[in-house]
Amino acid sequence: MSPVHVFADRVTKKFGEVVAVSSLSLSVEQGQFLTILGPSGCGKTTLLRMMAGFEEPTSGRIYLGGQDITFVPPHKRPANLVFQRYALFPHLTVFENVAFGLRVKKIAEKEVQRRVERILALVQLEGFGKRQVNQLSGGQAQRVALARALVNEPQVLLLDEPLGALDLKIRQQMEVELKLLHAELGMTFIYVTHDQEEAMTVSNRIVVMRAGQIVQDGTPEEIYANPASTFVADFIGHSNLLQATVLQTAPSHLSFLGGSYSARHHPGLREGQAVNILLRPEVLRVFGDAPEGFENVLKGRIVDATFKGPYVDYLVEVGEARLTAHHSVREGVSTFNRGDAIFLAWSQDDALILSS
Amino acid sequence: MVNTNTVQLRRPIRIPWLYIYSVLVIIYLFFPIGIIVLFSFNSSPAVSFPIRGFSLRWYMEVLESPVFLAALKNSLVVAVFTTFFCLSLGTLAALALTRYRFRFRPFVQSLFLMPLSLPGLFLGISLLTYFISLNLRLSLGTVVVGHVIYTLPYFVLVATARLERFDRVLEEAAQDLGCTPWQTFWKVNFPIIAPSMIGAALIVFALSFDEFLITFFVIGPESTLPMLVWSMMRKSIDPSVNAISVVLMLASLLLILFLSKVVDISEIEF
Repeated sequence: MSPVHVFADRVTKKFGEVVAVSSLSLSVEQGQFLTILGPSGCGKTTLLRMMAGFEEPTSGRIYLGGQDITFVPPHKRPANLVFQRYALFPHLTVFENVAFGLRVKKIAEKEVQRRVERILALVQLEGFGKRQVNQLSGGQAQRVALARALVNEPQVLLLDEPLGALDLKIRQQMEVELKLLHAELGMTFIYVTHDQEEAMTVSNRIVVMRAGQIVQDGTPEEIYANPASTFVADFIGHSNLLQATVLQTAPSHLSFLGGSYSARHHPGLREGQAVNILLRPEVLRVFGDAPEGFENVLKGRIVDATFKGPYVDYLVEVGEARLTAHHSVREGVSTFNRGDAIFLAWSQDDALILSS
Repeated sequence: MVNTNTVQLRRPIRIPWLYIYSVLVIIYLFFPIGIIVLFSFNSSPAVSFPIRGFSLRWYMEVLESPVFLAALKNSLVVAVFTTFFCLSLGTLAALALTRYRFRFRPFVQSLFLMPLSLPGLFLGISLLTYFISLNLRLSLGTVVVGHVIYTLPYFVLVATARLERFDRVLEEAAQDLGCTPWQTFWKVNFPIIAPSMIGAALIVFALSFDEFLITFFVIGPESTLPMLVWSMMRKSIDPSVNAISVVLMLASLLLILFLSKVVDISEIEF
């Protein structure tokens, strides 16, 4: 285990009566790429801004590399922030923007030249130094913003929804570039976003926030496979969430969609308890005839089919409910049309019980 | 149905109305100015046609006249001081109006802009009454006070418009990159707002330089250039007035040229 690098200790931030962050503790290890994920208003940006020094916690402490930085002003912190809308200085060229931090710190001009050129090469902007920042595309502007922060070699790089303003394609490209950059520099990255796909792509650890608190903390795989609550399940990935009643606890049998089905074991259940069942679209298999070898099969009717390239998304009506199923398009696998009566099947371990 | 075989499609003759109109407006605007320029080079003292001959006589006369030079100096002094006070008071006022959300802010803002809608005559008379009731001796100083009141709204208007548009995130970015608040102002705020402020200051300078109405009421024994021209015109139509006008016009042209070189005009908004 790497040493703890950034540590928020029971941090609370109130804006008047509104509690943005509520007694939150978080420790980030050296070199981690941590994403704070949550819907807007969950306090993730406030938490990041407290780390950057733009907000002071109402109570609690923030440490960086073992030092208490809770009330250290932003210009004295060895942390740099990449802003949501780039915030490039319009009166300076690309080079001057990137050199800004170094020049403020009175670094020798020769060293400034060397470091700025190296970092511009790293973000693939060689030869852009003399450009005006208003001549840049969104993707280029974002790279300059990144370079401007990275050139200072901060102990931790804070990123506040840095890709939010970019087109999907450039965003996906930048996500990969960010990940590679992180691997190359080994710096601690703390990244804030509301986009779960982005979070899963870039980071090796995700913290999901809701209403000023952390509701789950884990690797992208863990959070996807084992969401701790209905909220997380709904927020991460596409989900079919169904209300169910526990019939039997071990093995778990539940009643939903007018039938009785089995689900993965979940500790602490009571008979008669109301829970939610999570069925990811990719665990639902679609068959024309009743299949063999599945614990759970139910009948439905296709109300919509959307071709997505590698798979087809079926919207399946089962009684009152509608479920989405990803159906892989491969040779030898039949596809279905709107109106077809079909069977949905899943195995016991793929159905997750979530306390509601 | 139109028989297209027999109908000759002729291109209609278009009368360029817009073109004609524009030329007429330009003539209307510039004809009087052209006349003055013309007469300023006339060798005869009679300000009437025909023009007798070309001469720089009126210019020589003006430039050698101590009255003119004194008035020019007074006008410059007043304009410089007016601009200085306007710049410092106006910038601070604009900062307060844009940065702080205090009670009655919209009211205070409209108070700052009120002199714009007051007639100069009214301002002049009330200032005169005010100065007299304070037992202040009328001088160039009182003129500066009057001019600051008159020009401040223009400056505050431009300055608040610019500051409203200033993206505060840039200040955070500067601090994040190691700037103290003081450094942030000089490295980020100042260079970004400076063009607008210089532009507004030049407008203030120009407004003050040829202000007449308020000056007329609150000036002491000295004379500014507009006052001088007015007094000369009262006595007789002196052709050297034409030369003065041309000199003033050239000065404002240079100012505009400088403005457009230094400042992005589109940055200045009213």
